[in-house]
Amino acid sequence: MAFLEIDGLKKRFGNVEILKGIDVELEKGGFLVLVGPSGCGKSTLLNTIAGLEQITEGEIRVEGRAINDLHPSKRDIAMVFQSYALYPNMTVAGNIAFGMEMRGVPAAERQKAIDKVAKILQIGHLLKRKPSQLSGGQRQRVAMGRALVRDPKLFLFDEPLSNLDAKLRVDMRIEIKRLHATTGTTIVYVTHDQIEAMTLATKIAVMRDGEVQQFGTPAEIYNNPTNIFVADFMGSPAMNLVPATIGGNGSGLSVVLKPDARAAISLPLANAPAGLSAFKEKPVIFGVRPEALTDPEGAERNASNIATADCHIEVIEPAGSDTFAVTNLGGKAVVARLRADAKIQPGTVTPLAFNLTKAVFFDPATEKRIL
Amino acid sequence: MSAVSSPAPQASSGARARTINRIVIYGLLALFAIFYLMPLFVMLVTSFKTMDEIQNGNMLSLPHAPTFAPWIKAWSEVCSGLTCVGMKGYFWNSIKMVVPAVLISTLLGALNGYVLTKWRFRGHILVFAMMLFACFIPFQSVLLPMATILGSLGRFGVTLQNATGFNFGLGNSTVNLVFVHVVYGLGFTTLFFRNYYEAFPTELVKAAQVDGASFFQIFRRIMLPNSLPIIVVTVIYQFTNIWNDFLFASAYAGSGDVMPMTVALNNVVNTSTGVVEYNVNMAAAMIAALPTLIVYVVAGRYFVRGLMAGAVKG
Repeated sequence: MAFLEIDGLKKRFGNVEILKGIDVELEKGGFLVLVGPSGCGKSTLLNTIAGLEQITEGEIRVEGRAINDLHPSKRDIAMVFQSYALYPNMTVAGNIAFGMEMRGVPAAERQKAIDKVAKILQIGHLLKRKPSQLSGGQRQRVAMGRALVRDPKLFLFDEPLSNLDAKLRVDMRIEIKRLHATTGTTIVYVTHDQIEAMTLATKIAVMRDGEVQQFGTPAEIYNNPTNIFVADFMGSPAMNLVPATIGGNGSGLSVVLKPDARAAISLPLANAPAGLSAFKEKPVIFGVRPEALTDPEGAERNASNIATADCHIEVIEPAGSDTFAVTNLGGKAVVARLRADAKIQPGTVTPLAFNLTKAVFFDPATEKRIL
Repeated sequence: MSAVSSPAPQASSGARARTINRIVIYGLLALFAIFYLMPLFVMLVTSFKTMDEIQNGNMLSLPHAPTFAPWIKAWSEVCSGLTCVGMKGYFWNSIKMVVPAVLISTLLGALNGYVLTKWRFRGHILVFAMMLFACFIPFQSVLLPMATILGSLGRFGVTLQNATGFNFGLGNSTVNLVFVHVVYGLGFTTLFFRNYYEAFPTELVKAAQVDGASFFQIFRRIMLPNSLPIIVVTVIYQFTNIWNDFLFASAYAGSGDVMPMTVALNNVVNTSTGVVEYNVNMAAAMIAALPTLIVYVVAGRYFVRGLMAGAVKG
């Protein structure tokens, strides 16, 4: 039995179904990230866990106990909001202690708890200030302090970093990860930023239109996306999704790509997924991440299936740590990730290595992965 | 040469046009200000003059020998109808009416605004629209129905008096006026608070819910402490309206020693025995106007700020 279980959860507003049957579970001490584009229902899902929204169908259980009919304050959760939601009329200490005050905790005990949290988050010198006198990062800390002080079973974070500037966001991301590692709390975290999802999560639920598209560890989501949406959404730069056809010579299959105005490229597949033989001579979507499409010298040494093909390089994007080369396959721009010092010129034809062990195939009709 | 020097005259002509614009704008503003302040000025100077000076002197001239006698007479001796005890009793009548009416209508308006924005229910827009409608109902059209209702409440008060020995204020003219003004003011106060709370971050309410605060705890600890600008607006608006009200006051408390200030002032000015004492009348009118003036001066700087708040989301 998992620590947090969400079972067939549905949420309707009138006739509109916002959440269409969500099944997710999380072990104790886990870090679940709900990620997806805006309007996918991830914040609504978080609000239903918090009890700020009622659910229409299904069940939410924490440690085996259904909590979906309990008042938010009775669920033993703490929430960090996108806008931090610090009470402007109270000091930092007052903000942190408000929940305890509402539960009738004696003043001395409250003070002890405030001091403890202030020490963890290093906000001791801010306790007497009002939220309006704090910087963005400080407000973020106070908001986390308000959640931490309750020592809840479950932490809920609703896009907590989206209001910070880029540099601070990275710092706070590391801080949240450290906090999770040191306190061992169970966290559900909503974001639309797939990098936050990859770096923080132990489990990711990729959502779209009120449905979980895929639920798994970051590695599973990244390496084995179940459909085109997940493949496209996770990873930066995004996975190259190229229209292709499957060719066959005898028992072996190959993937045939059509570069612009040049002869078709045929890449032999040594370990094609079993389902792919049904697509012989049919169109598929060929997915390959930029890091699996490299210069031949930079290709992964121990990959079993590497095919090389000449590609026409249209644009070069030096990014410092890497160089990205853009070529055109099947009418789409395809990004290859080269070493930073790769000697390559735009407008030339250069061999690129396709790491086909990392390649995935999708059915263009259903958009599902071909396994 | 001409090409080099030409920008200078252009710039100076632009500056001249600006100066002329300024003069026209400020001149007009000054004119309007004088137009509005003139009656106040006349009232003030007249209230400090003796009757001799009023009858023989210029209306606009400053008093030669300023005297507080008219003010003292207006406060404690002037006749309203046949009773000659000054305005002080009626002044307190108005205070006793206006303070509870303003407090209750403001508090209820805040509560309505809180519910209509943060605890939305099916049909909340309809309820708000109907409350808004209260802002457009003319006073005159509610006079008779309200009189009937107040009459019934009065009879109910008598029944209570007989049954329990206490009438809970029902039938008392001041209580009646408080009731009328609260009911009539609710539309406006709800409108003010609803618009203010519309822009109030809902996440604060959610955070307080997670923190375990109840409906009224959120209202008292989170909403009200962050509503100062709109509270000031509502208080000024309600205070001015209720204090200045004449129609309801004369209809439901138009005689005897329960009259509010406005009705009493009217009676003072209309009492025609002998000479009309302009200086006393002016002093009485000033006394009647002072509380609203004080409220504006004390809280006025929040007024505009509060009216604007909520109109533009920050």
